[in-house]
Amino acid sequence: MLNYFKNTWEGIYTVLVGMKITFKHLFTPEVTIQYPEIKVPMEERVRNRLYVNMDDCIGCDQCARACPVNCIEIDTVKALPSDDLGKTSNGKKKALWVTKFDIDIAKCCYCQLCVFPCPTDCIYMTDVYEFAEYDRNDLIYKFATLTPEEGTEKKEAFDVFQAEKEAQKKAAAEAKAKAAAEKKAAEEAEAAKKADEEKKDDSKKDEE
Amino acid sequence: MNLYDIIFYIFAAITVVSGVITVTSKNIIYAAFSLLFTFFGVAGMYVLLGADFISIVQIIVYVGGILILLLFGVMLTNKVTSTDIKSGSVNVLPAVIGVALFAGALISIIIRTKWTETPGEIPLSTAGTLGSVLLNEYVIIFELLAVLLLIALIGAASIARRTKEETN
Amino acid sequence: MYDIILDFTGNEILSMFISAALPLFMFILPFALVAVLAERKVSAFMQDRLGPTRVGPKGLLQTVADILKLFQKEDIVASNADKKLFNLAPILVFAGSFAVFAAIPFSGAYIGTFADVGIFFVVAISSLVVAGILMAGWASNNKYSLLGAVRSAAQIISYEIPTALVILSLVMLAGTLNLYELTEMQTEYFWNWYIFGGPATGIQKILLIPFMIVGFIILYISTLAEVNRTPFDIPEAESELVAGYHTEYSGMKFAIFFLAEYANMFAVSAIVATLFFGGFQSPFGYLGDLFGVEWLIPIEQFGWFTVKGLFFVFVQMWLRWTLPRLRVDQLMTMCWKYMIPYAFVNLIIIGIISLI
Ligand code: SF4
Ligand code: SF4
Repeated sequence: MLNYFKNTWEGIYTVLVGMKITFKHLFTPEVTIQYPEIKVPMEERVRNRLYVNMDDCIGCDQCARACPVNCIEIDTVKALPSDDLGKTSNGKKKALWVTKFDIDIAKCCYCQLCVFPCPTDCIYMTDVYEFAEYDRNDLIYKFATLTPEEGTEKKEAFDVFQAEKEAQKKAAAEAKAKAAAEKKAAEEAEAAKKADEEKKDDSKKDEE
Repeated sequence: MNLYDIIFYIFAAITVVSGVITVTSKNIIYAAFSLLFTFFGVAGMYVLLGADFISIVQIIVYVGGILILLLFGVMLTNKVTSTDIKSGSVNVLPAVIGVALFAGALISIIIRTKWTETPGEIPLSTAGTLGSVLLNEYVIIFELLAVLLLIALIGAASIARRTKEETN
Repeated sequence: MYDIILDFTGNEILSMFISAALPLFMFILPFALVAVLAERKVSAFMQDRLGPTRVGPKGLLQTVADILKLFQKEDIVASNADKKLFNLAPILVFAGSFAVFAAIPFSGAYIGTFADVGIFFVVAISSLVVAGILMAGWASNNKYSLLGAVRSAAQIISYEIPTALVILSLVMLAGTLNLYELTEMQTEYFWNWYIFGGPATGIQKILLIPFMIVGFIILYISTLAEVNRTPFDIPEAESELVAGYHTEYSGMKFAIFFLAEYANMFAVSAIVATLFFGGFQSPFGYLGDLFGVEWLIPIEQFGWFTVKGLFFVFVQMWLRWTLPRLRVDQLMTMCWKYMIPYAFVNLIIIGIISLI
């Protein structure tokens, strides 16, 4: 019987305690962060979307080779000696036109392995994490600063240059060969002359 | 035709139609639910007759109590819908005799009664009067009924308890 | 109110319908709009969240948007459901909870019926809801629905007993079943409310107060159970029964169930307020009396009634977001082993005190 009343009292009492707690919470400020409007600042070393600072990229392809999922694709064209590509911020001379620098961010696993080998520190992680797209192809980020036309132009220019160089080389080689042949001929002629003279000398000696 | 007539016919229709469904339906659930409307219609009739207390009692006892228990029972029965209720005709002759006698009695009462028409007036509440009559004039019957119900209650409890002990 | 509309329209039947539908359109629908939002906001604030914030300023139009959504939704009837009963059940449930409002005095000027059996009628007619719930559960042809319906019916029937006992003790004290008269007895000042012993005087009043408080607690708990709200929401326990008896319903029919639930919430709160807290009576006189403006009084009364009702609705929400759900056996233990004996003893003691 005593237990019965105790139960009753406990029931009412505990309910009141609970109600007191929830009533207090009615007036505690909410902890909700209304996400799109308010964003929590990211930590310093978060790994999110990659960014490539093309001004500094020397097109060395090291990042592409480091990537475990092969999501970076780089094409380069050698610059002509007449082109001045400038220098990177840490003083390296650029010698390649980067005609294609695609990162398929959909494949990227944010491992950051591509970041370390870069000699110019131009590929790095940013804190941008909202980059959903409707089309998967939109997730292929094209960083190359040259348009495809420019790319092909550069390529053609390089090809032309290459061809010219080749032609020059060839010409040079030919000239060299010619010169060599002439030289040889001359030498031969001289040698023949000498031989003749020697012969003459010999015969002279013989006469003597 | 005034408002009360319309309401009366509505309640009458509810009562009769659902009563017919109750009797003829082959589905127990339908029968049970149409019984609900029958009770409800009857309660409405009571209201129109000025018996407000009775009508509420009708609802509370039949709709709220008995019918719900009935539905409980029916719903917990296995295969409610697939059980065919035999609605063929058996014992036609005794039934006809019984119905004829009953109908005759009813009709003769209806014919012989001297119907008096009283002008419609808003009936007085019956709750107070009923209470004082029950507790003054018919107090012994009232108390006996209470005792009877108590006995039924105790009986039910003891039956429930005994089976529980046996299963344990 | 009926008379005014009768004067206005000149048609008995029309004015009857209008005055009957008045609480629905003037009160229940707006109330449901507010209450659904309030429920979500209260729950959010209690859990240190914000709740709906998007639709309208501070999310105030959220319910409107939800209702528009429900209007547009496809009305799905499961192919093996019992179509007739399935369609009838929401109507029955809503009719049951709406009919309760007929006997509730909203203010001195508006009460559906002055029927002398008022509170008795309320107790009786709400059993229609049980029938509707059973019908919904059975017609859905879904085990969760049926289980929910059966649980709900068992629960409502059980908790009707302590409710009735407490109401009985009040009726005994007041000597009337009429809710309007009951309210009129608690007029003038708040110490005339039944929670403070009602209009009784002297030693009787002081003796009554503790038992009235006990009665109030029992009534409040059992009405809470009757409207199937947490901690008594085992008929629609999400973690066990999906959504209980309205699992299979969608669109407008679901909306009707929802409306009925909120109508019920207010109905029981209003009854608690009427029985123990003076109904539409102001706790301290009326402004209308003070300034001698007759027509202000009913409006003030309506205001008081709404405030009291809403307060108890708020307490229901408060409890809902405080307490976990009871188990079925705990539910029944609480009703039969605790509330009914207490209600009985309370009834007897109040009876004895009223004889002093
Ligand atoms: S972060 Fe990893 S996966 Fe992404 S591009 Fe760099 S190396 Fe590839
Ligand atoms: S490693 Fe750095 S410099 Fe080299 S290609 Fe990649 S981004 Fe450019």
